[in-house]
Amino acid sequence: MRRTLAFVLVLLMVFSMAACSSPAGKSKKSESEWEIVVVPKDASNPWFIRMEVGVKEFAKETGLNVYQKGTPEIDATLQSQLIQDLIAAKVDAICVVPVDPGSLEPVLKQARDAGIVVIAHEGASLKNVDYDIEAFNNEQYGAFIMDNLAEAMGEEGLYTTMVAHVTNASHNEWADGGVKHQKEKYPNMKLLEEEPRVESEDNGDVAYQKAKELFKKYPDLKGIMGTSSYDAPGIARAIQELGLVGKAFTSGTGMPAANAELLKSGIVKSLTLWDPALAGKAMCALAVKVLRGEEIKDHLDLSVEGYTDLTFKEGSTTVLEGKGWIVITAENVDSFGF
Amino acid sequence: MNRIMKNLMQRNEFYISIAIVALSIAIQLRSGQFFTSNNIVDLLSALIVPGLFALGAFMVIVSGGVDVSFPALASLSMYATTRILVDTNYQGGILLPIVMSLCFGAILGAVNGVLIATFKLPPLIVTLGTSSVFKGIMQGVLNAVQITVIPPGMSSFGTAALFIATNPQSGLTSRMPVAFLALVIVLLIVYFVLQHTMYGRGLYAIGGNEVSAYRAGFNVWLIKFLLYVGVGMISSLAGLIRVCMMTQAHPTNMLGMEMMVIAGVVLGGTAITGGSGTLTGCMLGTILLVMVENSLILLGVPTFWQGFFLGVFIIVGMGISALQVSRAIKARGALTRRVQQ
Repeated sequence: MRRTLAFVLVLLMVFSMAACSSPAGKSKKSESEWEIVVVPKDASNPWFIRMEVGVKEFAKETGLNVYQKGTPEIDATLQSQLIQDLIAAKVDAICVVPVDPGSLEPVLKQARDAGIVVIAHEGASLKNVDYDIEAFNNEQYGAFIMDNLAEAMGEEGLYTTMVAHVTNASHNEWADGGVKHQKEKYPNMKLLEEEPRVESEDNGDVAYQKAKELFKKYPDLKGIMGTSSYDAPGIARAIQELGLVGKAFTSGTGMPAANAELLKSGIVKSLTLWDPALAGKAMCALAVKVLRGEEIKDHLDLSVEGYTDLTFKEGSTTVLEGKGWIVITAENVDSFGF
Repeated sequence: MNRIMKNLMQRNEFYISIAIVALSIAIQLRSGQFFTSNNIVDLLSALIVPGLFALGAFMVIVSGGVDVSFPALASLSMYATTRILVDTNYQGGILLPIVMSLCFGAILGAVNGVLIATFKLPPLIVTLGTSSVFKGIMQGVLNAVQITVIPPGMSSFGTAALFIATNPQSGLTSRMPVAFLALVIVLLIVYFVLQHTMYGRGLYAIGGNEVSAYRAGFNVWLIKFLLYVGVGMISSLAGLIRVCMMTQAHPTNMLGMEMMVIAGVVLGGTAITGGSGTLTGCMLGTILLVMVENSLILLGVPTFWQGFFLGVFIIVGMGISALQVSRAIKARGALTRRVQQ
């Protein structure tokens, strides 16, 4: 008797599980029941704190259940565990900023198989996503950083590039774009062949130590193009300590408030940026559009500043690019409020 | 003469020193920059934080335990210190921050101490747990974010220089941070405690055999408890110095350092089973690892291979020193057997 009951219960469980996980239409639940989660690289980087501001704003404006959840440190393994947890919790959409896109693919596939909408940001190489939003064309942004670096360097001299990790998709595309742009536009600048790309591990202290080594080993080195938001500040610290202010230069992504003093002291002339809050908002807006089953096509308008005319990246059906870059200098650094 | 050589050959420090010299020469040959005054100063300044951590890790390993919580402990205490001082708009000198972080360190260390000494739980498990708890408090309770502007007293301490080394050829300058004195002072204190006090003897005795140490009259509980309190204080100091030198507090960028630090201590010949190891070896091992870590570009190791190179270096380094020491011990054993016959 007890055995039969157990058997029936097991059958019931299996069926109910199957029922829940069937990849039914993307909007079976009513909108107020949707759960959209934004997974940044970590929870303490000011970049992603700023992103959370946008996510919260979006939640407030739309009244939907949208929130951000990050891992305690930047770690690809922790991030994929977190996403697995979210799959188990049966959320409706995951918006992710991947630490290491390659290693995240299997987990994102699981998520999509479970019927979850996956939106990525800064993960153009990802295959298992519904869409990936880039604030801009990565190559063009790299060229934009290069313009800033070239201006500081007087359009001549030896330079190299720094990325968080050589496995990080966006950082490397920016760096590649920057190098390409230099070759076309700045013939008097030259890429350091021995060390064309170094890693800062998304850590200001590592960026500082690496920059010090580079300037010691290559006395002719005049500029370092940074990509991660820790790069340029770390490099600037090395430039200052080595007594190279005015002789060596850097430019790259950086948050205004964190770098106000650096910019005002003149060690760094300009930093480039897009607003992570807007990027977070755009991800959520796109997730909602996909959940609603709306058609996603060129010239997409997400009603978020800089993301009102998204176009597909050439040859891609998943990567959407906006026009969201800005430059910060000593003059406008205080005007951003973050 | 022969005996001195033989004695030397049995010591791990000897091999580490050879490795350091060999590596220096290799870096010098590859870059021409190793033996320049500013490079040496750069390395010493990069040694401060790992060096302090290593002193703490060393004492714990000597006592027969392993502590993996010190980066989290240091992060929590430096973050709490900086946060409080920033929020109260503290304008004073470096003394108060140091005292505060030492207090936080002592309290957090005492947590480890109670769990390990009173409840006799295995140190590795306890510190793995407290490491997560410390991280959790920092991120959950304190809502830790990067603090980009720290109190003026702290940043001026971090950027203050004992002297500035200038490379006559390249004109590059590097400053020797005043914080280096902290490493020297802590090193002297640890040396004194380990070599000249009953407490230090007790630490080695516990690491050798806890039961024997107890029978011999050592207060095992007190020794262990004070050990973790002391290590907490040293680690906190290291954390605070890191913040001052970077002139910003980043809650997570020290996490993950424990493996490198412990590798350095073990590389220096400290027995992971406890009871033996020298302070000289510990410092030499740490110096070697800091050198490797901060010279990969000077050595010309391509970015893609740096992690691989570092890992292989640790394995080979430890393998060679372990082999030499065990061979020496075996030879000594054979000798005593022959004498007995």
